[in-house]
Amino acid sequence: MGLISKLLRKNTSPARIVGFALSNFIGLLIVAGAVMFYIDARGIWDDDESFVNTDYLVLNKKVTSASTLGDRDATRFSEAEIVNLKAQPWVRRVGEFSSSDFRVYASVSHGGRGMETALFFEAVPDSFVDIPESDWRFEPGQTTVPLMIPKDYLALYNFGFAGSAGLPQLSEQLITGIPLKLYMRSEDGSRSMSMEGHIVGFSNRLNTVLVPDSFIQYANSTLGDSPAVSPSRLIVDVSSPGDVAISEYLSDHGIEVGGDKSGSSAAYLLKVVIGIVVSVGILITLLSVFVLMLSISLLMEKNRQVIHRLLMLGAPLRDVAAPYCRMIIAGCVVAWLLSMISLVILRSFYSGVLDGFGLSPNGLVWAFVTGSGLAVIVVVVNIVAVSRKVNAAWSLKMKNA
Amino acid sequence: MTSTLEEIKLESLLPRVFVREELPYSDIWRKNVVFRRGGRYLVESASGGGKSSLAAFIMGSRNDYEGTLMFDGKDARSLTIKDWQDLRRCHIAYLPQELALFPELSAIDNIRLKADISGDVDLARVDNWLERLGMKDRRDYPAGKLSIGQQQRVALIRSLCQPFDFILLDEPVSHLDEANNRIAAAIVEEEARRQGGAVITFSVGNPLLIENPEKLNL
Repeated sequence: MGLISKLLRKNTSPARIVGFALSNFIGLLIVAGAVMFYIDARGIWDDDESFVNTDYLVLNKKVTSASTLGDRDATRFSEAEIVNLKAQPWVRRVGEFSSSDFRVYASVSHGGRGMETALFFEAVPDSFVDIPESDWRFEPGQTTVPLMIPKDYLALYNFGFAGSAGLPQLSEQLITGIPLKLYMRSEDGSRSMSMEGHIVGFSNRLNTVLVPDSFIQYANSTLGDSPAVSPSRLIVDVSSPGDVAISEYLSDHGIEVGGDKSGSSAAYLLKVVIGIVVSVGILITLLSVFVLMLSISLLMEKNRQVIHRLLMLGAPLRDVAAPYCRMIIAGCVVAWLLSMISLVILRSFYSGVLDGFGLSPNGLVWAFVTGSGLAVIVVVVNIVAVSRKVNAAWSLKMKNA
Repeated sequence: MTSTLEEIKLESLLPRVFVREELPYSDIWRKNVVFRRGGRYLVESASGGGKSSLAAFIMGSRNDYEGTLMFDGKDARSLTIKDWQDLRRCHIAYLPQELALFPELSAIDNIRLKADISGDVDLARVDNWLERLGMKDRRDYPAGKLSIGQQQRVALIRSLCQPFDFILLDEPVSHLDEANNRIAAAIVEEEARRQGGAVITFSVGNPLLIENPEKLNL
């Protein structure tokens, strides 16, 4: 159908098609680039922790002289306080820490040398811990218990203690392979039990030795003496960790945020900035769609008589639409190709930084998926618009003429 | 559409613009008329008699009429876009009065374009027609640069380049001399006979010289 195309492409303005391809290119580049950067950069804040979401805050009350002098309830959260906290708009859910009500001693022997320390356990509801359920589980009768310890403890041992005590340094991988002998007894020493502990993960956010909730319940009921007490620490899933309302509420109620907070705020800021950039990119893409639709409409308007004559000769509507569809697809493919090439170049500027962090995130893949998806949407929207216009050209004739 | 279109039936057809007017005598408006495949018809009218309107109704480019237009018993108003395109491509050939050539394409490309849309057209026949109508040395001229009479001959040949059951010729020879009129009539007659199609020709005074057409006054 070379002749039909030749006729229908008459009056084509190359400048307008280039203008579309350029704006579409910029739009795609911004959206896909932002997605790529977000996926890549997220790793820098998130790398230490896949076990505990960055949107979780660990809250405790300030320790005052009163609590030191014996009023331990001063640092506990009352039921009313928890209810009040749950009612805050930025709170998704609240989990309570439960602590061990018994003595714990852990020992490890490595290469003929042993080490022993007093320890404590805490637990949070399992839903806050992103470890596969099969690894993070305890049932009465089990002789091993999974543990999660703060990364800092390992650093403290490796760089502080091991050197001065003449002990070997331990890698994360190594330590997860070493069983810990745990000896637990009640306060009065009348009841005791021994178990094996396995470290299954390290955390930067939870500054505690974490065990499954079910283990704490079981061990407290077996070895504990005092009835359940109110929790002194809470884990909170918040909707926007950088929200000012959170810090205001916390300082008003004398509550501190434990663990590493900078990560969550930075991640939140990153999200906000990326959100803005993506919106701008989508806006530009929309404008490019608009530019293309407008120029194709104008072109079809200019070629109105040609279209009418072709339809009168019995040309199928899809043959009349085809040259315009090809134009749209060509413009889009060029824009898409250019943006994908630019992304690869863009990434080469900072891939060195990522390597420095020991990260190899797949931002490029997601950018590719996003960019391609968006390009397909642009093509489909425009082709639908052209088809409707050709149909309209047909029925318009029926009405007036 | 079936493989052939046997009849075009007009039942009390009347262009809407005429509804309030006092009409002179007409064999077609407000009457029941049937055009049959294989027939020869000459529709004569004074200028302004609605001749081009009738062609537009039959070709589906307008539907501002009262009454009913039927293709083999099927109401024209019920046809889809696809039905109409099928009708134009395979059943009703049409030479509009304004010719509707593409001025930037050469004479032969105008014809080829039509042949491309219809498919299955023997271009050797086209060369023969061009030669008989004295257009052979003009085949590669842009249609826009040809005289009206030459354009009329190109448009006539183009209208023949498709399968048809009816061919509608709206003043096909208004700018041709009698010799060329007779050649055109012979070519149309040959092709209509070959395809078994009807010829419906419109005229305001210089009709295509086909033999013994049924005459109708518009």
